[in-house]
Amino acid sequence: MRVALSFLILVALGLAACAGVLGLRPRDASHPFEHRAHATHGVNCVECHAGVAGSGPSEKLHLPSDDTCRKCHQKPHDQRACLGCHGEASVRDDALLAEKHLRFDHRTHQGPTGGDCVHCHEAVASEHPVALLPKMASCFGCHQHRDQWAMRDCNGCHVDLAAEDTPPTSHLVHDGDWLREHGTRAASARDLCASCHSERSCAGCHGAGTVPMLPARLAFDQVPLSGLHRAGFAARHSMEARADPGLCTTCHTESSCQGCHDRNHVGGTSAARSPHPVGWITTGAGGGDHGLQARIDPTSCAGCHGGAGEMLCVGCHRVGGPGGTPHGPGFRSDRSKTHDLPCRLCHAAGGL
Amino acid sequence: MLCKTTATRGPPRTWLIGALLTEALIAPTPGHADPLRLRADAIADTSSPAGLVILQGEDRVKPWIDAEALVWAGAKPSLAGDVLVLAIRLKAPRGWAEVRGGRFILATGAIRPVQIDGAVLTLRAPWGSAIESFGGAPVVPMFAARPYDWLAGGRVSQKLGTRVIVGASYVQRREGGEISDHEIGADAALAPARWLDIAGSGAYDLTNPGIADARVSAASRVGALRFELFASDRSPGRLLPATSLFSVLGDFPSQMVGGTVKWIAAPRLDVLASGAGQDVGASLGWNGFLRTTLRLDDRADGTLGLELRRVDVSTAEWTGFRGVTSQPLWRALRVSSEIEVVVPDHPEGRGIAWPWGLLAIAWKSRTGWETAGAIEAAATPLHRYETNALVRLSRSWEKP
Repeated sequence: MRVALSFLILVALGLAACAGVLGLRPRDASHPFEHRAHATHGVNCVECHAGVAGSGPSEKLHLPSDDTCRKCHQKPHDQRACLGCHGEASVRDDALLAEKHLRFDHRTHQGPTGGDCVHCHEAVASEHPVALLPKMASCFGCHQHRDQWAMRDCNGCHVDLAAEDTPPTSHLVHDGDWLREHGTRAASARDLCASCHSERSCAGCHGAGTVPMLPARLAFDQVPLSGLHRAGFAARHSMEARADPGLCTTCHTESSCQGCHDRNHVGGTSAARSPHPVGWITTGAGGGDHGLQARIDPTSCAGCHGGAGEMLCVGCHRVGGPGGTPHGPGFRSDRSKTHDLPCRLCHAAGGL
Repeated sequence: MLCKTTATRGPPRTWLIGALLTEALIAPTPGHADPLRLRADAIADTSSPAGLVILQGEDRVKPWIDAEALVWAGAKPSLAGDVLVLAIRLKAPRGWAEVRGGRFILATGAIRPVQIDGAVLTLRAPWGSAIESFGGAPVVPMFAARPYDWLAGGRVSQKLGTRVIVGASYVQRREGGEISDHEIGADAALAPARWLDIAGSGAYDLTNPGIADARVSAASRVGALRFELFASDRSPGRLLPATSLFSVLGDFPSQMVGGTVKWIAAPRLDVLASGAGQDVGASLGWNGFLRTTLRLDDRADGTLGLELRRVDVSTAEWTGFRGVTSQPLWRALRVSSEIEVVVPDHPEGRGIAWPWGLLAIAWKSRTGWETAGAIEAAATPLHRYETNALVRLSRSWEKP
C-alpha cells in the first residue's frame, strides 16, 4: 500500500512538473491579469485604463500603474509592484509593439462598438487569456478591407510590416513543413509575401550565385530544426541531391557542383580518379549504367560534365557515333537540329 | 580563438576578419516604426576559410518608395565581393501600380526563382486582376557578364471572389542568344472552405515539350491539428537550360506524394510528422521525419527540439537524428547547441556515421551590438574529424 502510494505521489509530481514544462500551467509567479474578476465585480475598463476611450493614434498607452490599483486595493497584500505578478510582461510587450507598428484610433471605435471593449478584446473575457490584443481576424470581422487586400495596400493600419517582424497569428500562418511548402503557397501570392518579407528573405537562399553565406550559417547561433542546408549538410548533400533529382537546380546553376568541388579540392577535377562505379560505361549493348543514371538525374551529370565537358558525350553519341542516340523514348524538341544548341553538337556536320 | 584542425592536409589556411563600416541617416518619419534600418556583420569562419563583411540596409521612409541593399566583401578564400540585393520599389498610392528594379529575385506564379538585374512592373485593379511584366539579365556572380543573356515574360492573374486566385505565366530566357528556358505556367490558390487551403502551380516546357515542374498542396486545420497533403512532379532534364546536352535525354520524372501532420500537443509542445512516397527513375522509395519542438517558456525564448529522419530512395538511403537547444543564460547572453548524426546505409568506407555538433554563445545589447561565437566539430565523408570556429560581430542601426 505504501509503495503504491509513493508511486502515485511520484507520478503526480512528475505530471505536475511536466505540466509546467509543457505550458499547461504557468511556472513563474506572474499570471494573466484578472480582467474577468474585475469585470464581474462591476469595474469598468476605463476606470483602470483611464483615457483610452478618447485616445487617438500615436498616443501613449493607457496601462494602469500601481497607484491605479491602490485606489481600490488600499491595503495590498504585498509591497512589491502589483504588475510584477498580476499581468504578464509579454502582454505589455505586445501592447508596446502594437503602439509602435500599428495605426489605430480607439476614439473612432467607440461609436461602432458601443464602447464595448470586449467587442474587439474578446480574450479578456476568458479565464486564461494568452494574448489580449485582438487578432487580425477580429478586425476583418468588421473591416473587410477587400480593396486593400487586392491592392496589397497594408499601410492603412501597418506602419511598416517588414519592420514589424511579427509572425501572423490568425492568417497566413507559416505552419507545418514550411520550407518545402512555401514555394507552392507563394506561387499565386508572391506580392503578398513581399508585403512583409524583404528581397533579402528570398535572395538569402535563392540568390545562390551571389550569396555570401547562407542564412543558417550566418545566424549560426540560432538553431531552429527547420532551415536550408543546416547542420552537417555538407556531409550528406550528395545523398540529398540523389533523393530528389532536380531540386538543387531550384537555386544552383549546373556549374555550381564543379565550381565548389574545384575550390575545395574534392573529386570532380581532371586530376581526380573517376567517381563512377565499375560498369558505368561498357562497349557492349546498352553502354553500361551511365545512360539510365543520366536520365534519372541529368542535373548530376551536368554538374561535372556541363559546358565544355559535354564533348565527352558527343565523342560517342554524335550522329553515326558508336554510342547511338542518347534520346529517350518519346523525346521531342522544337529546336533546329543543325543550328541550335545543343542539337548541333551531334547533328551538324563538324559539330560546333 | 579561431582554429581549424583536420585529419587531412590542405593548403595553408588563412582567414580575414573585416572591420565594421557604415552609417547614413535620413529624415524622421511620420510613423512610429523604424523605416531606416542598417546592419553590418563581420564574420570569420575557419571552415571555408572565410572572412566576410556584410552590409545591408533598408529604407521605408515613405510608403510609396522603399529600397534595400546587401553587399559583401571578404576572403573566401581569395578576395571577393558581390551584390546580393540592390533593389528599389516604387508604389503608386493605393497600390494599383508597382515597379521593382535593380538586382532581386524574380519569382511569380509557376516561374521558378531566378536572380536578375532588371525590372518588374505590376498593375492591379480593384476587381482583382493583376498583370506583371518583367525583363532583365540573369545575374552572373562576381560582376561578370554574358552577352545576349536575357530573360523576359509576364503573368496575369485574377481573383474570383474572395476564395480563388488563378494565374497564367510565360517566360523566355536566352543564354548567348540561344533559348535556354521557354515555358508557360499556371497557378492557383483556393480556399473552398474556411478550414481548407489548396495551392498549386505547374510549368510546361515549350522547347522539349512536357511538364517541367508541377506541385500541389492542400492544408486543413482542425483544432490543434493541421494536415497537409502534397504532391510534386519534376522533370530534372527540363529544369536544365535547354542549351545543355543533358536536357535532351528524355528523363524520368521525379514524383512525390505525401502528407504532414502538425499537432500542438500542449501549449509549449509541437509535434510535426511528415512522410512521402517517391518515384525516382522508376524506382520507388520514401522519406519521412518526426520533429518535436518544446518551448521552455511562454515566449519561446528557450527551445528544445528533436528530429528523426529517414530517407529510403534507391541511391540515397540514410537515417538521421538532430537535436537543438537554445536557452537564455543571463541578461543578454544566450547559449545554443545543435547536434546531428547521420548514418548512411552504404557508407562505402566513408565512416559508419557522420556526427556533427555545434556549441554557440551569443550576446545582444540593447544598443544594437551583437556578437556570437561557436565551435563546431564533425566527422564527414571527407575528414575523419574536423573542428571549426565561427565568430560574428554585428551592429544594427534603426532610425525612426
